[in-house]
This record gives sequence, structure tokens and C-alpha cells, in this order.
Amino acid sequence: MTDDTKRQALDSLSARMLRGEISRRQFTQLAGLALAGAPMLLRSSDAFAETKELVMVNWGGDAITAYDAAYGQPFTKETGIVVKMDGSGPTEGSIAAQYKSGKPTWDIVDVDPFSAITLGAQGMLEPIDYSIVDKTKFRKGFGWEYASSAYFFSYVIAYDSKKFGDKVPTSMADFFNVEKFPGKRSLYKWGSGMWEAALLADGVPRDKLYPLDLKRAHAKIAAFKDNVVSYWGGGAESQSVLLDGEASMAIIWSTRGSLIEQDSGGQIKFTWDEGLISPGAFSVLKGNPGGKEAAMKFIASAQDPQKELVMFDKLGQGPANPATDALIPDDKKAINPVDPKNMAKQIPLDMEWYAKHYGEALDEYTKIISA
Amino acid sequence: MRRVFPTGMGAALLMAPLLLFLALTYAWPFLGVVEWSVTLPKPGFGQYEVLLTDPLVQSVLIRTFRICAIVTVVSVAAAYAITVVWIRGTPMQRTVTEFCILVPFWISLLTRAFGWVALLSNRGLINTWLQAIGVISEPLALVRNEFGVIVGMTHFLIPFAVFPLASSMRSLDDRVLLAARGLGASRMRTFWTVFLPMTLSGIIGAALIVFVFALGFFVTPAILGGGRSVMIAELVYLRIFQSPDWGLGAAISVVLVVFVAALMALVFRYVRPRQMI
Amino acid sequence: MPTYRPGPVSLVLAALVGLFLLMPLLAVVPVSLTPSRMLIMPTGELSLRHYRSLIEDPRWIDSILLSIRIGVVSSAFSTALALCFSLGVWMFQPRFTALLVGFVLLPMVVPPVVSAITLYFLLTSISGFASAFGYDTWLGVAMAHSVMTVPFATVLILVALSQIDRRIDLAARGLGASVWERATQIIVPNIKFGIVTAALLSFILSWDEIGVTLFITSVNAITLPRLMWMGLRDNIDPAIAALSVILILITVTVLVIRGIVQKYRRRA
Repeated sequence: MTDDTKRQALDSLSARMLRGEISRRQFTQLAGLALAGAPMLLRSSDAFAETKELVMVNWGGDAITAYDAAYGQPFTKETGIVVKMDGSGPTEGSIAAQYKSGKPTWDIVDVDPFSAITLGAQGMLEPIDYSIVDKTKFRKGFGWEYASSAYFFSYVIAYDSKKFGDKVPTSMADFFNVEKFPGKRSLYKWGSGMWEAALLADGVPRDKLYPLDLKRAHAKIAAFKDNVVSYWGGGAESQSVLLDGEASMAIIWSTRGSLIEQDSGGQIKFTWDEGLISPGAFSVLKGNPGGKEAAMKFIASAQDPQKELVMFDKLGQGPANPATDALIPDDKKAINPVDPKNMAKQIPLDMEWYAKHYGEALDEYTKIISA
Repeated sequence: MRRVFPTGMGAALLMAPLLLFLALTYAWPFLGVVEWSVTLPKPGFGQYEVLLTDPLVQSVLIRTFRICAIVTVVSVAAAYAITVVWIRGTPMQRTVTEFCILVPFWISLLTRAFGWVALLSNRGLINTWLQAIGVISEPLALVRNEFGVIVGMTHFLIPFAVFPLASSMRSLDDRVLLAARGLGASRMRTFWTVFLPMTLSGIIGAALIVFVFALGFFVTPAILGGGRSVMIAELVYLRIFQSPDWGLGAAISVVLVVFVAALMALVFRYVRPRQMI
Repeated sequence: MPTYRPGPVSLVLAALVGLFLLMPLLAVVPVSLTPSRMLIMPTGELSLRHYRSLIEDPRWIDSILLSIRIGVVSSAFSTALALCFSLGVWMFQPRFTALLVGFVLLPMVVPPVVSAITLYFLLTSISGFASAFGYDTWLGVAMAHSVMTVPFATVLILVALSQIDRRIDLAARGLGASVWERATQIIVPNIKFGIVTAALLSFILSWDEIGVTLFITSVNAITLPRLMWMGLRDNIDPAIAALSVILILITVTVLVIRGIVQKYRRRA
């Protein structure tokens, strides 16, 4: 409760007491509640002006500084609302747990659109308020009922160029080939993109990927397990497994790939060949502590091309707003997943398939990699 | 002794605040956790069944016991070696060993874990040095795996094993040792047949403390295991925050408490606590 | 006087163990001087940028100040509670003393992860009606730290009490002193050192506390250990190395001073 509301509450209580409407004892009890800030009893309408803070949950590490610089700080300057960054990685399971706890502490989450579809259908997310968020700033075909199109990224092969000399991996088959490219591998813990990688390596042609033959994919992954040194769960982990030299190749987010290339002085590179491009989205939890309106305003503020450019600069995210494309300098186009030259080499993940099958596929995948 | 003051009120007034505080902030929430274990996601003992049957949980339990057993043996042995000098060495030796024991003891476990990461990682001190002098060509995987966890946990637990061992060594009657030497026993013989058995209660005490502590560890293994060598305590953390399943996290916690209590009760039946501390 | 000193075998083994114990602390030093932003050994030049970032980055300063605030509040609270309780036990020797003391020691004896989940339950429940004390608030964290440190404070004060000669108290009672007078004028002055030690230990335990803190904080109440943990999991920020070196130096200095003071006392 704000001090303002508390004062109003106490004023009205004292007025009522003086008029004899409530006894002294009742006044003390109610005043005590008001001072303790019983939000549920005395909360005024969910007004935007009341929000002091929003919590945005993303995938951690360098994402925290990037989101803060591109979206968080400017939003605070414009509205006075502090945006706190939480890097714990909002998986479908943890968002559901937040909602089920009855007192969510998260406001905005950086999710896969298919997770938003699933969670939204279960009533755990707020539908995006398209009177605040601008649909016209999305690319054609993106933007969902419970998720706003926020950026694009890909699952790409990153490799230690020093280890392989002249040879350069150009396909998922190369990734799964430890004779030609010796060393350990690292895969994504949460499954997305890994099934496609396994199937492509097993010889399935690009246009025949969906619906995914999970049995075949899991068989390939299970057989490959001995070569995998770790399954990275968040951005920073994927970076350190390559930078530390634990894995000679890993399938990671293109966003982190561009950072690794800088950090390793160009030693660790990544390729767009057989990259798996995916949209990234922002969603709002139902019953979020900062209130619906403030959260929607934050998402709308993130659609500004200048801000998207900062995100591209700091984290290599492909911009969601087509107007941003013109702002990207030529020498940086190589790290943009949605740049036409890079797009041509990649395969888009099918959000519809994921919305229907991700849950069970992940369960099976987790069983295999944890055994 | 005559009591000048009504015992009840005075005692109650003084002791009540702490007891009430802990009842509200510890006992009550623990009951809530127990409730979680039998109500989430569905009422019943389902989560306990999961504990007994789920292969992932089973493998975590086996790994936990294996690691804790190894850590206990190594820690107690290492602690024994350094405690002998700490208690019975020359003043100079005692000062040096005291320094070695106390400094890590007082340093935060995060700093210690970080130190091990810096030492053991692929581009860390040890690998860089070994490669520089040509012993190995590829870095050894010493951290973010079970080995790193064992090293980190042992390092943390050695000082805890030292104190019970020290106490039992201090109370040793020197004349027995004198007698053994006087009868012609060699150093080695005196150690194995006289000294060691007389410190047995200290060893058991140290082993118990180390094992029980080790079971509850999750911060050090989380950092040094890289998420790959998950132990039972870390599983609780993951089931609350990463792949949430609060009922399972709660059930694991309850079982952990019961197990530790049972273990301590069992040992106390055979060894009197006085002898350990 | 020990009859014989440890032999060469013992000394060698002890030396190895001692080296093992000190190694990671020494390893931190070179890493703290790396010019890179990643955790690697410095290959060429050395740099003080990570020490600088400790002073310049507001997050480190904020977390240090928060940790101090929480440490002071929680140690004061837990020492006060422990003192009252221990006085009650010592002065009145009620029945079931062992049971009551056992109860008080629970947070110390129970595996830390169980305490963590218990306090998580507590604070998330409190968030519902008293949000200033709830999950991810500094008051909530202070309260949780009090729970975790009070057993240690209690033990220390009980030990201090056990070393007082009961006859002083008996004499006071015989002269007609009330409970309050006995407590404040006779007993407490005699255990001053124990109380201070208890408060200090509570502060240090709160300062270093990470297990429970991990469960009860997320973005707001970021204590120093919490910030270090985030750095260790996310980037392995070498600023942590710089911080560690400073903390190690402080600890070593304090221990050395204490050692010297003790030597002085023994001679005098």
C-alpha cells in the first residue's frame, strides 16, 4: 500500500469512529491492518499510478545487463517505475508454479511463444492488451493472444575453430560426428531445437521435419549421450562451457554466440547453417504484482526501434519491429538472425507443433538426459 | 535450595520469547512443509511413493550416499593427519597448522567454492600449470563434475572433523604412550595399536558430524558440480525453483530430517555424546 | 607436555593437508588480477579493473550495505532472545531443560536445505498479510537469519554462564535481590565477553549466510552472498575474485591479531 492510501484509509476510519459508526476497538483493529499494509482488504483499484516496481524475468547473465540498458532504464526514466531483472530463466514449469502459488512475484517473462499459448490456455497469463501494445509493429505472422512478439533468435552450432583447423561444421550431421570433429558437445537442457537437430543429423530432409518423429529423435539423442559433457540451462552456462573449453561444439542461442565470439577474440565462432530460428516473446502473468496496465506499458515501450537496436547491439537479438531493420549497420548484419542472407540458411521452429507437444516431449527428453 | 521466587513465572517470562519465536518461525512452517508433501499436487502419499520408485530420485540418492561416504572417509583421514600435529606438535608446528585450519574455516563457503573453480577449471591454475610443464596436453576435467564436488566438500568439512578429533586427542593420557614406547614398541606400532584406538570415539564423532553435514550440502555441490552431479539437497532447490514440484521438494526434506534424526539416535545409543565433543 | 612429537611421516601428511586447505585461497589472487571479463588466469598483463569495479559498481556497494544492515539487526535480535532464554535456563533450571534446549538448537542441527525450505514457506506465507516482512524483503531475511543464528548464540551464552560461580548469584538472592536485579547487575556483567562473542558470531553467520538466503530472496533483498552466488552461476565475474581476496585478507588479519593478543595475554 502506498502512504497515500494508508493515510486515506486512516482518515476515513477516524472519521467513522468520531461519528460513532465503529467502536474504538474496531478502529484499532482496522487501523492496525491498514498500517500493516493489508493489500487485499484495503487495496484501491489497480491503478497504473500505484505501481512502483516491475519484475522482468529473462535467461540471465548478459541478458540482464542488456535488457536493463535497452528497456529497463529508459522505462524508469519515462515512468518512474523501477524495472528489476531476474535472470532465473522462466521455464513453463516455473511460470506455472508462480501462478499456482497464488502470490506471483513475477510481472513480465521472456518466453517461448508456444509456452505462452499453453500457459495462456490454462488461464495463467494475461491476454496482451493490444490497445496499449501496438500490433502493427510486429512482423507478419507473429504476435499471439498471450504473447507479444519481442525478438528473434536461433539455435546455432558454435564451435572452437582452433580445434578443427581448416574444417568447419556446416550441418547438424557434422555436429553429431565426433570422428570428423572430435571433442565433447553441449546441448540445451530444455529440449527446444534439439529434436530438430537430431532429426536433421539423422538424415531427415528440412521440409519433412514436422510433425517431429520424437521416437527417432530421442533414439539418436540417447545414443549420443556419452559425447555430451553438459546440458546448459541458461545463457551464461552455454557461454562458459565453450569459453572454458569443456565442449568443442555446442548448440546455443545465436544471441550468446555473438558474445562468445567477442569474448574469445574470434576463436569460438558460430554458423547459421541449419540454424533453427525461433521467435521470442514477452508475456504477463495473471495477477502480477505490478498490475496489468504497467506491464503492458513496459511491453509497448520495448517496441521502439531505437531500443530494439540497443538490444541487438548488446545481445544480438533479431528485432521484432520491421522498422528496426533499416537501423542495423552493414557490418553487424552477420549476427542478425532475421537478416535475409542468414534466414535463407535456417529452418523455423513450428510454434503450433510445440504448443501441442512440447510438454510431453520435454518430459521424455529430460528422462533420457538425466538417467 | 529454597526458591525465593515463584519459579514458574520468572522462568516462563525469560524463556518464552525465544521459544515462541521459534515455534512460530520454525516449527509451524515445518508443519506447513510436511503438509505440502502430502497435499501437492494431490492429497495422499504420492510424493513419498515417487521418492521410492522414481529412477531420477533413486539415482540422486545413490549418488548422494556415494559422495557423502567418500567425503567422510577422506575428510576424517585428512583431519586426523593435521590434528595430530595441531595437538601434539612443537609450538611452531601448532601455530602453522592452526592457521591452516582456521583461515578456511572462517572464510565464506562461496569464496572457497570460487577458489576451487579458479584452481580446477579448464583454464584454471592447475590445468594451465600442468600443460605448461608438459605433463598433459589436454586440460583435465576437474570441476563441474563429481570430482570437483568431492574436493570442494572435503575442503569445507575438514575443519569440522578437526574439532571432535582434537578434543579426543587432548584427553589422551600420555602415560599410556610412554608405557608402550618403554616396552619397546616402534612409532608406527604405538600409533596403530595404542594412539588410534584411544581416539576412536573422536573418529566416530567426526565421521558422524561430517556425514550429516554432507547430506545437507547444496550450495557447494551446486557451484562445483555444474548442475551435473545433483545431490539430494540440491534436488530440493531445483524442485522449488527450477522445475517446480513443491510437493516432491517437501517430501525429500521431510525424509532427510527423519533420516538424520534416526542416524543420530542410532549412533548415540552406542557412543555417549560426551565423548565426542 | 606431550611425551613425543609427531614423527616425519605425520609432519609430511599434515603439511599436505595444510597445503590442500590453503590452496584455493591462494588461487583466488591471480584470477582477481586478470584483465579479461571472464574467469581465466592472466596471461600477460595484470589489471586492477575488478577491484575498481567493486568500488564503482553500485550493486556491490548496495549489497554490502544491505548485508551489514541485516547482520546488525538479526544478530542484535538473536542475541537478545538467546540471552533471555539462557538466563531463564540457568537461573531457574526448569524441568525439561534438555528438551527445551534441544528445541532451540534445531535450526543448527537440521540439514540447511530443510531449514531453507521451511523459512521459504514461512516468508511466502507472511507475504500474504505483512508484505514488509515477507519473501524477498530485508526484514524477512533478517528474521530468517535470526532463526538460523539464535542456536549458536544460545550455545555460546550457555557456555559462558556455565563458567560463572553460582555462589555469586546465591549470595545476591540471599541478600534479597529480585530476578531483574540478579540478571542485570550480577549475571550479565559477568558474561559480557560471552554475549559479545555471541553477537559477533551471529553477525558473521548472517554475513556469510547463503543456503537459506538463496531460497528467500530473488531480486530485491540482494545480500552480498546472494550477489556473489548470482555472479558465480551466471558469469563467474572476476570481481568476485577481487572481493574474495579482500575478505581473505581481512580474515587473516583478524586471526593473526587475535593470535598475537592471546600470546601477549599468556606471557602477562
